[in-house]
Amino acid sequence: DGGDGSESMSKKYSRDFLLKFSEQCTVLPDGFGIASDIADALMSAHINGSHLVDRDSY
Amino acid sequence: SSKIPTAVTQQPHPLEHSWTFWFDNPSAKSKQAAWGSSMRSIYTFATVEEFWSLYNNINHPSKLVVGADFYCFKSNIEPKWEDPVCANGGKWTVITQRGKSDTYWLYTLLALIGEQFEHGDEICGAVVNVRGRQEKVSLWTKNAANEAAQVSIGEQWKKLLDFNDTIGFVFHDDAKQDRGAKNRYTL
Repeated sequence: DGGDGSESMSKKYSRDFLLKFSEQCTVLPDGFGIASDIADALMSAHINGSHLVDRDSY
Repeated sequence: SSKIPTAVTQQPHPLEHSWTFWFDNPSAKSKQAAWGSSMRSIYTFATVEEFWSLYNNINHPSKLVVGADFYCFKSNIEPKWEDPVCANGGKWTVITQRGKSDTYWLYTLLALIGEQFEHGDEICGAVVNVRGRQEKVSLWTKNAANEAAQVSIGEQWKKLLDFNDTIGFVFHDDAKQDRGAKNRYTL
């Protein structure tokens, strides 16, 4: 801790530190769901059907 | 299905704030649709690991369709002028050619979630707008009139991105009245 009051509580991470975790996190989080109409535009790979959520159209 | 325990149990790294990804593709909607009506929140994350799990599976700006807007905002703030936290705010904008903003976007996200800004409380979130000829990455802040805070954020941002062209800061209040609103601050 820097010991400089409440600021020392904040969780700061440098870019280099964050980049170290990139390669080990490749699977979508559990519970991630996306409407099929935007999945095509947004997702970089063909995603598993279990992540697709049906949307009611009004 | 049972999960196989890993040899080393790694604790996720919590972030200071939770953040929400939003996606909007207004051009895919009918012209009559009200602004923001096609905006959808995608996922809220609160750890370093969750961030990468999402980032590694979504298109980066150069691969998004023209017209798309992709946002990353603190989870308690909606990326709209009308949001009470944003109402008196504004934004710094970095403009690049089409296909050239991926690294700037990633470095912006990492600076946000890693709390690299001295005036972190001033920050609402970031957005990348993908257009036919250019991509724009903007950093939304709360108190546009607080020039010292905005200039500090803008200077830090340029340094973090190693961006050498000029960036401008527009007040949301000005932008509401005029799409071509002038920069109030430039760096």
